[in-house]
Amino acid sequence: MLLEINNLHASVNDVEIIKGLNLTIAPGEVHAIMGPNGSGKSTLAQALAGREDYLVTDGSVSYKGRDLLDMEPDARARAGVFLGFQYPVEIPGVSNVYLLKAALNARRKEKGEPEIDAIEFMRFIKDKAKLMELDEKFLSRGVNEGFSGGEKKRNEIFQMAVLEPDLAILDETDSGLDIDALKVVANGVNKQRDGQRSFLLITHYQRLLDYIEPDHVHVLANGRIIQSGSKELALELEEHGYDKILAAAS
Amino acid sequence: MNTATPDPATIEVMRKTWQERPPADNLRLHDRRTRALESFAQNGFPTTHQENWKYTDVRKLAASYPECLRTVPDGTATPDLVPLIDKDALRITFIDGIYRPDLSTVGDLPPGVFAGSVSELLTAVPGFEAHFGALAHDSDSAFVALNTAFAGDALAIVLPDNMELGQPVYVRFHASTPQLGTQPRVMAKLGANSRATLIEHYTSSHQAIVNSVTEVSCETGAALNYYKVQEEHREAWHTAVQYIDLARDARLVSMHLDTGAGLARNELQVRLTGKGAAADCKGLFMGSNNQHVECRINVEHAAADTQSRERFRGILADKACGVFNGRIYVEPEAQKTAAELTNRNLLLSKGAEINTKPELEIYADDVKCVHGSTTGQLDEQSLFYLMSRGIDHDEARNMLVEAFAGELLAGTGIEAIKQKAQQALRALRTAGQ
Repeated sequence: MLLEINNLHASVNDVEIIKGLNLTIAPGEVHAIMGPNGSGKSTLAQALAGREDYLVTDGSVSYKGRDLLDMEPDARARAGVFLGFQYPVEIPGVSNVYLLKAALNARRKEKGEPEIDAIEFMRFIKDKAKLMELDEKFLSRGVNEGFSGGEKKRNEIFQMAVLEPDLAILDETDSGLDIDALKVVANGVNKQRDGQRSFLLITHYQRLLDYIEPDHVHVLANGRIIQSGSKELALELEEHGYDKILAAAS
Repeated sequence: MNTATPDPATIEVMRKTWQERPPADNLRLHDRRTRALESFAQNGFPTTHQENWKYTDVRKLAASYPECLRTVPDGTATPDLVPLIDKDALRITFIDGIYRPDLSTVGDLPPGVFAGSVSELLTAVPGFEAHFGALAHDSDSAFVALNTAFAGDALAIVLPDNMELGQPVYVRFHASTPQLGTQPRVMAKLGANSRATLIEHYTSSHQAIVNSVTEVSCETGAALNYYKVQEEHREAWHTAVQYIDLARDARLVSMHLDTGAGLARNELQVRLTGKGAAADCKGLFMGSNNQHVECRINVEHAAADTQSRERFRGILADKACGVFNGRIYVEPEAQKTAAELTNRNLLLSKGAEINTKPELEIYADDVKCVHGSTTGQLDEQSLFYLMSRGIDHDEARNMLVEAFAGELLAGTGIEAIKQKAQQALRALRTAGQ
């Protein structure tokens, strides 16, 4: 297994948000977690990435057989975990290209590979930028600086494409995207599906799943997964809303 | 006790020092210097009761002053100095306040550039005595008055109309004798439509007092690029004032970098006296350990259609204390003034401190003036974002500090100054960790 979450409990500001969550992801699988607002979707994503103020109080997370919770956020990233942020931050003064080079080389160093050649690097990221339909001039600008909401999300997937993680957690990457941007983002994700790389898509809406076909769909409510199924579960949720399934569960 | 004036006995000692080492002015500057000394004797050193000195306590500096003034420099010391700029510049070196042609790249300075004793300058530069201390008023502070009274050697740049000085003038003031008090003095007069770049670089190898005064007047349409880099010894005291007057359509672009000294206080005084004059002033100051660094800028808009922009940033680590005071003053006749003053500070530790005060004082009614100040720590969200990409904590922190400074340094014409700033940032981070 790539990722095994057992009985995870996590709190933010002393309020328990995740209340005994179990989830297993095998290499190459695409999982979607859906749920109403406040169900704990983003908390799960942030806790897996290692955000300090998202405190894990109980349970375990094993990633490639390692204790993920024991690793610093940067070590998790170097081990191949990628978080696509719901709200990517703007970092003026740190250019996208500078960040990517530092990040890519950190990951290569971890794998015992030499630093990437400067020319090869530029060619590599320009190809990936084209894939995400990002203008090359974005590369030299500050990280997300002055980007529109849609551009920020595309930039997240662009970074993912460059860093080639083993597990990508995409936190509401679809929110705030128009249909064209959504297609670009979905295409970026689909291009990365190679039977080995795994994805955890966190979303409120079924719409994203029209473009990225998941292997498994889970419903998160009140900090726990209350139902799991195939992609048809997402369609069911779209049709009936969360109320029915929540009522059935309680 | 925080008394204003040194006791009469101390003043007598300083007066005696002055009489014993009278710079040979052929008496032409004697009156001017006497006035300065008497102004100091009357007003003494500033105290923290005075608004302009509220956050900078100079008592220890004041106590060391008489002795440091008496210290006789070793006139032959030849320290191994790494120049900030080693090519394509006129390099002029002062060691312990003494002009050193042997350490300057130009034996024969080009027309318009003079270095040497103030008395020689009187001969070389017609009308020099009228400019010496014309912009720098004795009453501004004890330090300005002391410089006028004691300055020995000086640098003067006098450009005729329409002359462009192709190379930047790079002047190094280095203090190598311990416990020495030096009074660097720079004077520049840029004729109409002339252009010059001036870089002042201050260093010291021991505890010393360095108190500099720069006076520049730019005539109609003249353009000055001014840079000052201060990286004195950590036990040195550095006080400096630059007076820059801009006539009609004259332009100033400036950058200050303050990284050194135990106590540093720099004051930039810009006066836009002619219609259409413009100033763009930037500064980066940083401190670690127990450093105290004060950065002041005062811009007076005294004519219509003048513009100024002042951007200053401070980065403070450990228990360092920073002071920023920026003031834009718009006189009644200075209609259509556009001015923008910002100060941003980054505190890298809980013990670091900043006192910041941007001020606008406006007496014209048709102006566009804005000011603002922010102080904060490194943004945790940005830190996490970078770490979530695999960059370790220290590196992520470094990237954010560098970015904070980098935004200000972008567009700085002299690459060596950017590199010097980055070097100082690395040292600062090492100290701050």
